[in-house]
Amino acid sequence: MYRQKYLFLLPGLLVLVAIILFPLLFTIRVSFSSWDVYNPGLNWIGGDNFTRLLADSRYWQALVRLSLLTLATVTLQYVLGFGLALLVWRDIAARRLFRVLFLVPMMTTPVVMSVIWRTIFHESLGPLNPILDALGIGAQPWLSQAGHALAAVMIVEIWQWTPFMFLMLLAGLLSLPQEPYLAARIDGAGPIRTFLSVTFPMMAAISTGAILIRLIEASKLMETIYVLTSGGPGTSTETTSYYIYIRGMRDFQIGYSAALSLTYLVVMIVSLTVIAKALTRMVVKD
Amino acid sequence: MLEIRSLSLVQDGDTCLDDVSIRFEPGQLTTLLGRTLAGKTSLMRAIAGLVQPDAGSIALDGTDWLGLPPWRRPVAMVTQQFINYPHLSVLDNVAFPLLRRGVARDEARDRARDMLGRVGLADFTDRRPGRLSGGQQQRVAIARALVKKAPVLLLDEPFVNLDYKLREGLREELIDILTAETGTMVVYASTDPREALQMGDRVVLLSEGRVVQAGPPRTVYGAPVSVAAAQVVSDPPINLLELDVAEEGAEVTGLGAVTPADLGRALPPGRYTLGLRAHDLRLGGPHAAHVALTEVSGSETVTHLVLAGQNLVMLERTVTEHALGATIGIGLDLTRARVFDATGTLVPNGADHG
Amino acid sequence: MKHTSYLALKYLVVLAWSAFVVFPFLWMLSTSFKSANGVTGGATWLPWLQYEPSTAGWSALFGGPGGVNILRPYLNSVIVTLSASALSLVLGTLAAYGLSRFTFRAGPVRNGDITFFFISQRIMPPIVLAIPFFLMLKTLGLLDTLTGLILVYIALLLPIAVWVMVDFFNSVPRGLDEMAWMDGCTPVVTFLRVILPNAMPGLVVAGMFCLIFGWNDFFFAFTLTFTKVQLLPVSIVALNSSVTPWWALSAAAIVSVAPLAVLAFVVERFLSRGGLAGAVR
Repeated sequence: MYRQKYLFLLPGLLVLVAIILFPLLFTIRVSFSSWDVYNPGLNWIGGDNFTRLLADSRYWQALVRLSLLTLATVTLQYVLGFGLALLVWRDIAARRLFRVLFLVPMMTTPVVMSVIWRTIFHESLGPLNPILDALGIGAQPWLSQAGHALAAVMIVEIWQWTPFMFLMLLAGLLSLPQEPYLAARIDGAGPIRTFLSVTFPMMAAISTGAILIRLIEASKLMETIYVLTSGGPGTSTETTSYYIYIRGMRDFQIGYSAALSLTYLVVMIVSLTVIAKALTRMVVKD
Repeated sequence: MLEIRSLSLVQDGDTCLDDVSIRFEPGQLTTLLGRTLAGKTSLMRAIAGLVQPDAGSIALDGTDWLGLPPWRRPVAMVTQQFINYPHLSVLDNVAFPLLRRGVARDEARDRARDMLGRVGLADFTDRRPGRLSGGQQQRVAIARALVKKAPVLLLDEPFVNLDYKLREGLREELIDILTAETGTMVVYASTDPREALQMGDRVVLLSEGRVVQAGPPRTVYGAPVSVAAAQVVSDPPINLLELDVAEEGAEVTGLGAVTPADLGRALPPGRYTLGLRAHDLRLGGPHAAHVALTEVSGSETVTHLVLAGQNLVMLERTVTEHALGATIGIGLDLTRARVFDATGTLVPNGADHG
Repeated sequence: MKHTSYLALKYLVVLAWSAFVVFPFLWMLSTSFKSANGVTGGATWLPWLQYEPSTAGWSALFGGPGGVNILRPYLNSVIVTLSASALSLVLGTLAAYGLSRFTFRAGPVRNGDITFFFISQRIMPPIVLAIPFFLMLKTLGLLDTLTGLILVYIALLLPIAVWVMVDFFNSVPRGLDEMAWMDGCTPVVTFLRVILPNAMPGLVVAGMFCLIFGWNDFFFAFTLTFTKVQLLPVSIVALNSSVTPWWALSAAAIVSVAPLAVLAFVVERFLSRGGLAGAVR
């Protein structure tokens, strides 16, 4: 009776299946071949790529680095985004202006801003070191030392994506009901107790959603790395995506990079599912 | 004639309709009376084709309807929520169903304007429905349903979300309009027995997805066939008393021994339930009862009483103030009680009384 | 007394973060009016006082000396972003409406699983798809073409459109559809005549997200095009590798970032009217 329903679903579904599913199946097949510059084509070498990958310490280091970087930046983004959302939630002059301002970075093209950040971090001509000098902190070797380069990447990521957390959390705050706050005020609860016992519990679900989306997006990190540090100095800022890019698009080891990609995808899906379950359980328990 | 046979519907594990059979005749207004979730809305949605029943048949003049999607069934429906098309003006809202049926634009608009005049919205044709009051929005919905002149018109508690005064007024207007429409089968769902008894040519009582009784309002009210039917059709709620008849005498729980003269009839031994309407209780009598609550509405007083641990409701056709907690003497006219046997079925006693 | 210091702290934090947000933009604006001398003179902010302003960077964008042709890439970016967003919006809105209103079953697969399949595509890291995309477009002869990029961007944007629109349609009462059916509309007519005219708020949010993610993509444009077709972010990053003309780079960055920055105002309006809560949840 409702045969027309397929007219709605199928066009989009078929297009997505065609664009995503076939490439994915193809990647699986390629990962069992030794396709590279010298031998392009689909031969069968069994699981050799995966054995090689297990011993590839550069890959695993990149994966660990990516995990730590992701967890650290997303945590900071969450704390900062929540703090900013609370600050411009109400009782502040020109709050709409601040809201607009705080949103702008997420609208900008990440690579383009990374190029600008690169000039900002420039050790002799950039504006950051003179400011640090004036503050008595002293100039820093931003992009030439491993620790500093990682910090630079984190600063850029926080600048770019804290606005997303801010957006989600402010939208959540603005949709909260008023009654619990009246009740809290009648009970004589101070601002800190009100936050801990009223605001935070009600924001738990939307927080989980926002954190998960950011974890997913942040774990793809590579464009900023490409522009800002090119993985350097050495391999000290390489992320998984960036390393796979080097192997696949630069060294043209198609077969091996397919194996790396699939492993990366599986690791990501598994760890994100675990994190999602854990976060959801925390929310439900409260 | 719309004929429904053995219709059954289970949704999410709940039985919504259980072996429902009803006939609707052209020119007749049938009220479906039942509590919330008794199956009124499910039945209407099944007739309109919005849900597929699990068993049974629906046919209009012999043509099977179950194979037809909603957009091919000649039905019109007004629901509890005021649903109109938010993006169209009031006039275009009412003209919409006509345009979809291939009526020319000018004619559709003329007919829509005419119908809006009849529901008293002639001055609001250019507004968006969202800018109207609740009552006005529901008038738009009614006009949109009527303008199609569909042979089957379903009205699912159309006034329940309006305030009392508006409800009374709109109901009378609707009755006026409907009496002018001949040949339409009107089905009106209600939870309010008074409304149902006033309005319909015929009342169908629904309880837990089943038809418990159908017939002219007077018959249904006067002789409810079962305890369930008596409960659905009585407002204020009917008082139910336990009657125990043995060889040596009869006793009503809480009232003590009763004679056949008290009951106005002789009954064979057994356990019975007496259904006594609130207006068959009167102030001044041998039984001492405590006043739990008094509600005055209009010129009537409804008093909730506790008599020997049993809750009773008394209706007086005067305004009387009873102090809460006071003890008052009441009388019960058991000759007017409906008697139901142990299975809850009416035990008839010649002519019924109102 | 305590209240005043709390208030002062609050404004201090808000202003500090504002400064952090604005900092790169001010730097980029200031740099765009510098010449080679202005840049090598170190970090300076104020024109006339600290450096001699020059329009070299801006004229380089529009065919001046030191020419960086940004017009063609700009146009390409507009074409790709708009086409892919429009197509994703059409396909995504249709699919979302279907998923929100009708029941689909295929073996153990239910509506929720199909919706999840759409949305889960956002988990896929671009690098995983890059090589197969490369080979797929090569086979189809679509490498280094606008058509090829539009196709790839649909895979990127369709999940976003479905995600936002499913949420939106779930908030539209089904009674509206049922009324239209009883007024004689088939599902397709219902969608076109009744649902679509009332779907503007959802479409605006979905369209906005599509524009942001489409316009801001770099990686696919970078790996799937070479010489014939260049998108804006790629041409700006290309400036980065040469002996960097910071002035032209900054001017180009401003032109590239400005159109979407305006969207912040639109988002804020939705936010303050509470219109985003439903779309975000």
